[in-house]
Amino acid sequence: MSQRTLQSEEEMMDERDDVMVEVSDLRTYYDEGKLFGGNPVKAVDGVSFEIKRGETLGLVGESGCGKTTLGRTLVQLEEATSGEIHFDGTDITTLSGPELKAWRRDAQIVFQDPDSSLNDRMTVGEIVREPLDVHDWKTPRERQQRVRELLEKVGLQREHYYRYPHQFSGGQRQRIGVARTLTLEPKFIVLDEPVSALDVSVQAEVINLLEDLQDEFDLTYLFIAHDLSVVRHICDRVAVMYLGNIMEIGPTEELFADPANPYTHALLSAIPEPDPTAHRDRITLQGTPPNPRDPPSGCPFSTRCPARIRPEEYENLDDTLWTQLDLLREIVRERKRAERGMSDRLKSLLGRESRFGSINEIYDELFKGLEIPDSIQPVLEQVADDVRAKNEESALELLNEEFGSVCDTDIPAYHPVGDDGRVSLCHRHEPGHDTPRAVIDRRHR
Amino acid sequence: MSMSSDETDVVLTLRERIAANPRPALIWVAGLALLILLELGRIVGWILAAGGAVRMVIGAIPSVPWWVADNVADGLSGVSGGLSQVGGAIGFSVTAALVLIAGAFLVKSLFVPFSVSKKIGLDARQIGPDALSEHLLERLVIAAGLGVGAALILVTPVGGAVDAAVASLTNALEWVANGWTLSDRELISNEGHRSPDGGWEGTFLGLSPAIAWSIRVIVIYAYAFAALVWLWKGYTTYREHYREADWTPRDDWINRFRTHYWGIFGLIVVFGFVVLALWAPALGAANAEANLYSPYQNEFEYLTDDGQVESVAHGTANIQSRSQGGDSTVGIMSYDEYDRWAPLGTNPDGKDLFTFLAFGARTSLMIGLIGIGIATSIALMMSLITSYYKGTIDIATIVVSDTIISVPVFLMVLLLSVVFQQGNHPLADIYSGGLLLALIFGALYWPGLWRAIRGPSLQVAEQEWVDAAKSYGQTPMITMRKHMAPYILSYILIYASLLLGGVIITTAALSFLGLGINPPTPEWGRMVSDGRSYVSTSSWHIATVPGILIVLVVTGFNALGDGIRDAMDPESESGDAGATAAATGGGG
Repeated sequence: MSQRTLQSEEEMMDERDDVMVEVSDLRTYYDEGKLFGGNPVKAVDGVSFEIKRGETLGLVGESGCGKTTLGRTLVQLEEATSGEIHFDGTDITTLSGPELKAWRRDAQIVFQDPDSSLNDRMTVGEIVREPLDVHDWKTPRERQQRVRELLEKVGLQREHYYRYPHQFSGGQRQRIGVARTLTLEPKFIVLDEPVSALDVSVQAEVINLLEDLQDEFDLTYLFIAHDLSVVRHICDRVAVMYLGNIMEIGPTEELFADPANPYTHALLSAIPEPDPTAHRDRITLQGTPPNPRDPPSGCPFSTRCPARIRPEEYENLDDTLWTQLDLLREIVRERKRAERGMSDRLKSLLGRESRFGSINEIYDELFKGLEIPDSIQPVLEQVADDVRAKNEESALELLNEEFGSVCDTDIPAYHPVGDDGRVSLCHRHEPGHDTPRAVIDRRHR
Repeated sequence: MSMSSDETDVVLTLRERIAANPRPALIWVAGLALLILLELGRIVGWILAAGGAVRMVIGAIPSVPWWVADNVADGLSGVSGGLSQVGGAIGFSVTAALVLIAGAFLVKSLFVPFSVSKKIGLDARQIGPDALSEHLLERLVIAAGLGVGAALILVTPVGGAVDAAVASLTNALEWVANGWTLSDRELISNEGHRSPDGGWEGTFLGLSPAIAWSIRVIVIYAYAFAALVWLWKGYTTYREHYREADWTPRDDWINRFRTHYWGIFGLIVVFGFVVLALWAPALGAANAEANLYSPYQNEFEYLTDDGQVESVAHGTANIQSRSQGGDSTVGIMSYDEYDRWAPLGTNPDGKDLFTFLAFGARTSLMIGLIGIGIATSIALMMSLITSYYKGTIDIATIVVSDTIISVPVFLMVLLLSVVFQQGNHPLADIYSGGLLLALIFGALYWPGLWRAIRGPSLQVAEQEWVDAAKSYGQTPMITMRKHMAPYILSYILIYASLLLGGVIITTAALSFLGLGINPPTPEWGRMVSDGRSYVSTSSWHIATVPGILIVLVVTGFNALGDGIRDAMDPESESGDAGATAAATGGGG
């Protein structure tokens, strides 16, 4: 699926912006090697992209979407489950021992929480110096010299060498953390929400510092954030992540001005407007993100997508009804997953009420006051029967068959959108479908 | 004095900083030298005792492979003679290799800051397979070096030469140890006899033994206090004149502890207890060797009722001075029939109770320190490893520790000490069973300690600075030592000081039951046991005084632990449930 991406990007690649990091089909799963097997958490689930030398790539998405895990995998703080990360041509997932240690000089990470990323029992000098000690850089005296220079460079004073982190404010502590990542002269730095723990007034200062340092040392950044306005300010390109997948990736301005993917639409519509009188339609996503242990079989966003492809015969159903139908599917899906619990099985065996409400209650809540067309009435009744018979499996099958579409069955491909190598993961970019924007405008405005 | 930024960049080592401003350091060193000189004999004596213990341990290690080989050979001898020899040889070499490698890890982390393998020109990548890392190679090289050294000492005449060198050094030190010391019993002596004209002979300045003894006690405690103050002064001198940082987190701890009066009370009690243990031979009103251990080999002079100065063996005199209730009691602050001063009276055998208590403090402190030392080292090591690596090793440690915890500590101690003592195991003879007890405490208390510090250590392992260390390639070993251990250490220090009280109580309880420390080594619990039938008589002091002391010392250690905890972690509440459980020795 990334074949097309590569081609389109190769065309426009020239000497100046060559690729520094190339990630292909990267997966990072947690809790795999557990004693009793089970589903791993698929934090990063098949991600491919490139980072060009000297650029800042933004990585945005709601919390829990796997963006931090992706960043940590790129600097080998997490081990990749499969896939490759080529760093200047070397696949770093295969490195170990002295080679890994040598490579670590080139890739560093700035952490989110400056309270937790600095060891309080060491002086600032010791903290910033430690990477140099680890790599046995020149003489101890030269190391001290370099640390003091770096402190000055990040906006602190040379005399702060013998202070402790306690004696600094949050912004200053983050500067110390930045100084530490710079000691080994890395080429690539992962910034894991570097300003989200800071006061708004300090955020801008640290962002400006990071930009200045990038110019001075020719750094390449992966900027992880959930604050979209910061991303728009600092990033050359942006990748939008959802449930372990990159939904859309492309140049920042283009992506912000004309989002292609339905998820990007939803995310951008959530940016608060500084002007309280401005009217803006917010796309409210229904439900919560699916459990990353058990992602949907089709498009990762299919369960909540505001522009999901609907079967043609039901295309003219009321939008509110569609929302409720999607919700019903979610509920049945969740019941099917949770019904595996031992105690619930026992309770239902004993004829006791389990923690789930009866299907009548659910229907009441979902469809009360709605007019149910005759075409779907039999389907809903069949579903209710199946659920009563504890047969969520077949209820779900029926629902998928009737109301599902390509979104629920097939994983979409990356489609080029825009002129500048932007790609988006959505079935709606295939010929014969309306664009996400048109659908969202129709359904939600 | 203004400094430009270039000048502040000049980095000075501590030595250079002292050279730049030597006065405060010189004053402090001069004071320290004076203090050492005053008690030179005793301090050298302590060094000798510590050296002897180290020698014993080092001497025991090489015998381990032979011991294993013998056991294996014995076990297999029933099967076939040839097999037993082969088995013995295998057992020997495997154990020897393990001991050498363990030794190498210890030696490397303690004494070798540089890379030996690089110095002798070995490179892991050139000579070996991928699995051979730099660190492993380094350890193997050191292990080989240790092996060669051990073989040289054990097999060749080099061993004899080393022995001779050690012996001559020991002799020289012993000569010093027998020389001048301020707390010499003979210098301020309370052992003399009444002269016929009403005064005292042989005592310090002819004063009465009670006053002479009091002076000696005061001098010793004053000296110990002065030494403590001087150490504190050393710290403040460093802080004021030589430390680069003008503030460290440690300063806050100290400031908080200084206003924590319950903690200071604990510190005072613990200080008194430790001094009592360290200076036991000098503090005792009677000479321990003569009065406690071999009373019939030593005699002293006294003035008889008809005005004659006569000699009598301590043992004979002790029989006349027994405290067994009724009229035959030598109570607190009194002289016995032979005009010997007994500050806390005598025990049912007529021996001096204060001397007995002072030496008993030694026993308790020894057992407590060794036992808790072992337990804390294991707990600290395991907590670092389990919280850093998690996973299988964590689960395995949980299983092991839960297994050990599931048996009540006191029951287990009883069981093990009976087994070892009935089996006449050589370990049970060292220090009248004290070492055995300490080892048992070490083995039984580490799981509880590990559990107690598991939360904090998991918390520290989750800190981003641990990740940061990994991100620039710091080794797990140094990460644990530098970025995790300091945080865990403060918790373990608190629990250790609480647990030390528990160990003292358990030891006393065991001895009370007649199982812990065997006579003649003094132990407080045994004294309570000996005196318990006289509690309602005029000889009430025998059980009461040691009992009160046990309570006081245990309370002191707990108070000190509370103080340390509140100083390091001011947010925690004083009534911590885990800490209370630890204080009672986990049900002991």
